[in-house]
Amino acid sequence: MKRVLALVLALLMAALTFGLAGCGAKTEETTTAAPDATQEATDAPRTIFTMGIDPEYPPFSYLGDDGDYTGFDVEVCKAVCEKLGWEFKVFGVNWDEKLVQLDAGECDCVWSGMTILDSMKEAGYVISNPYFDNEQVLLVKEDSPYQSAADLKGKDVAVQLGTSGESLLNDDLKELADSFGQVVTADSFLKCFTELAGNAVDAVFVDKPVADSYVAKNEGYRIIDEDFGAEQYGIAFRSGDATLCEQVEGAVEALVADGTYAAIAAKYPDIEGNLLYLK
Amino acid sequence: MDLLTIILKMAEGLEKTCAIFFLTLLFSIPLGMVVALLRGSKLKIVSGIARAYISVLRGTPLMLQLIAVTYGPYYLFGISVSRNKLIPVVIAFAINYAAYFAEIYRSGIESMPVGQYEAAEVLGYTKVQTFFKIILPQVIRRILPSITNEIVTLVKDTSMAFTVSYQEMFTIGKQIANSQTSFVPFIVAGVFYYVFNAIVSFVMGRVEKAMSYYKI
Amino acid sequence: MPVLSMTNIQKSFGENHVLKDISLHVDQREVVSIIGPSGSGKSTLLRCATFLETIDAGEIAYMDQKAVQTVNGKAVYAKNLKPFRKDFGLVFQNFNLFPHRTVLKNVTDAPISVLHRDPKEVKALAEELLGKMGLADRAGAYPCELSGGQQQRVSIVRALAMQPKILFFDEPTSALDPELTGEVLKVIKQLAEEHMTMVIVTHEMAFARAVSDRVIFMDGGVIVEQGRPEDVFGDTQEERTKQFLRHYER
Repeated sequence: MKRVLALVLALLMAALTFGLAGCGAKTEETTTAAPDATQEATDAPRTIFTMGIDPEYPPFSYLGDDGDYTGFDVEVCKAVCEKLGWEFKVFGVNWDEKLVQLDAGECDCVWSGMTILDSMKEAGYVISNPYFDNEQVLLVKEDSPYQSAADLKGKDVAVQLGTSGESLLNDDLKELADSFGQVVTADSFLKCFTELAGNAVDAVFVDKPVADSYVAKNEGYRIIDEDFGAEQYGIAFRSGDATLCEQVEGAVEALVADGTYAAIAAKYPDIEGNLLYLK
Repeated sequence: MDLLTIILKMAEGLEKTCAIFFLTLLFSIPLGMVVALLRGSKLKIVSGIARAYISVLRGTPLMLQLIAVTYGPYYLFGISVSRNKLIPVVIAFAINYAAYFAEIYRSGIESMPVGQYEAAEVLGYTKVQTFFKIILPQVIRRILPSITNEIVTLVKDTSMAFTVSYQEMFTIGKQIANSQTSFVPFIVAGVFYYVFNAIVSFVMGRVEKAMSYYKI
Repeated sequence: MPVLSMTNIQKSFGENHVLKDISLHVDQREVVSIIGPSGSGKSTLLRCATFLETIDAGEIAYMDQKAVQTVNGKAVYAKNLKPFRKDFGLVFQNFNLFPHRTVLKNVTDAPISVLHRDPKEVKALAEELLGKMGLADRAGAYPCELSGGQQQRVSIVRALAMQPKILFFDEPTSALDPELTGEVLKVIKQLAEEHMTMVIVTHEMAFARAVSDRVIFMDGGVIVEQGRPEDVFGDTQEERTKQFLRHYER
């Protein structure tokens, strides 16, 4: 009797899921279509540009000492808006929902040390030219015995949900992830670092600039730098916003040309070397 | 990743979701009774502490309590964060739900007519006998609908464990949603929670029916 | 030896002086009715006798054993009242049966779990008493399935199953529909004929007159008049009593 019930439940669930998934796919098309329509319909010049950021992602985007959002990406975007005569706004996204929030129109782009993933392009998002060479590193405690990823066999590693590090551990680095004792996904970098500081994990798998910035500000940590595969940062726009993307890229290039870009970069020495526009 | 893989992967997390659910009930139901009894204590200090406990735990978000229980000991005293997250998660859930249960018990106990106590007293029942034989069975019957409400809420609240990186079903769903840029895991999660709660409602409905052999 | 001796009882609720130096002695096999207007203190007297209220001063003794005595003007209760509770039973106005238990369990649980009597004997006694009260077929029913009159009879059986030496009734028919009072009064009358020691607070004058050995009229926290029913009702001495009884003459 119980087995029959379980079977019925499982079938019901599968049916429901398939049914809903079907609907989900359809609505996805319509929602992505909706923003274009409004964009094309309103030929009126844009007045406000809302930048979607991860508010806890130094040095690219974070809450500054004065209580306003700042960081390399934020400063560049602000300069872009000035150049184009747009009102600049910041919207803190939930990083693991960032693309949903972008589609929903809560922000006009996601621009926050975002690693370009093939899956984003496949899903139809407009992605800018890459502007930063990134790599993943392992952050460990200075006094820990670990020197390489292999040393972390059977150990626990934290990674932020929704980051490229997490994607890598799920796909290209699946073998490495399986060699770890446990991959702990936290919803912010602060929590990843707290897990490490509090000895709940042995390492954090994280973007290099973030790790560099953390090591510079906190004592007792070091970085295991291994080649986990190269990746690049870019800006994501909704599928119909190719023109918007071009506008922003044009403005960035103008900032590079007049030296503003380099001036901003100079404030962030940890990442300066990997900025593609300055190479 | 096909749908079956998604469902199977999330079902792995369901085990942890169930662990939070059952362990929370196991600890919070009796703990709530203790708090309710302390709150009814004649000693002002004791009832004051119980009152403050209920007030703080009901007056602050569960998410905050989860973070406080998980990371608080490290920030305050340098005590290592637990590797087995189930421990802080269950502690946070249990103390939070105990506060809600305590208030439900209290309202149930206060709704009992004084005549029941007097009849028991005249018949010579001790205080303990009166509570367990006369009062508690009737209180349970009266508060069962409110308890069911809390249990249904608990099923949904288990998803909050993701804030402290506990790999329960919803956290895994989010991971898949990210790596696949897909909404399907959320639908699967919704179905899981709905079915879970349908079972809870069915069971509690049976219990309520079994207890309604007399009218209040 | 009196079953119950209450001597010089004082009881106040705040400013309200409810019992003013009242004394009540009840002998074995005696049936005493207490009548009087509401607020006269008669129910409070019963509640003090059954320890549901604590007295301010005075003495209460069952079978010459002191449960409460007065030391330096203050009432001091015996450390353990349990042995005294065995001596009396109380029938409430609102029955106060335990709704989650069957009639039989309502009756048998206290003798078994409080007095530790043999369950078989208790059950036999309960069935005998229920039969006597015309409730033999309702042993398995829950209180909510019974009429008010039946519930009150069950609560009388519950008190009797403890085999008390004295039984108190606190307005046993006041919560009942008029057509149901008869069956309860009949049962109490039957007990009176068997010479059960009883104190009955009641508004049923004809009943009090018929069953009592002694009638007490209380008003304003004092006993105004007491005596044999034919004297109190037939040859009333006090003006206050006459006034009260006039309301019941039809």
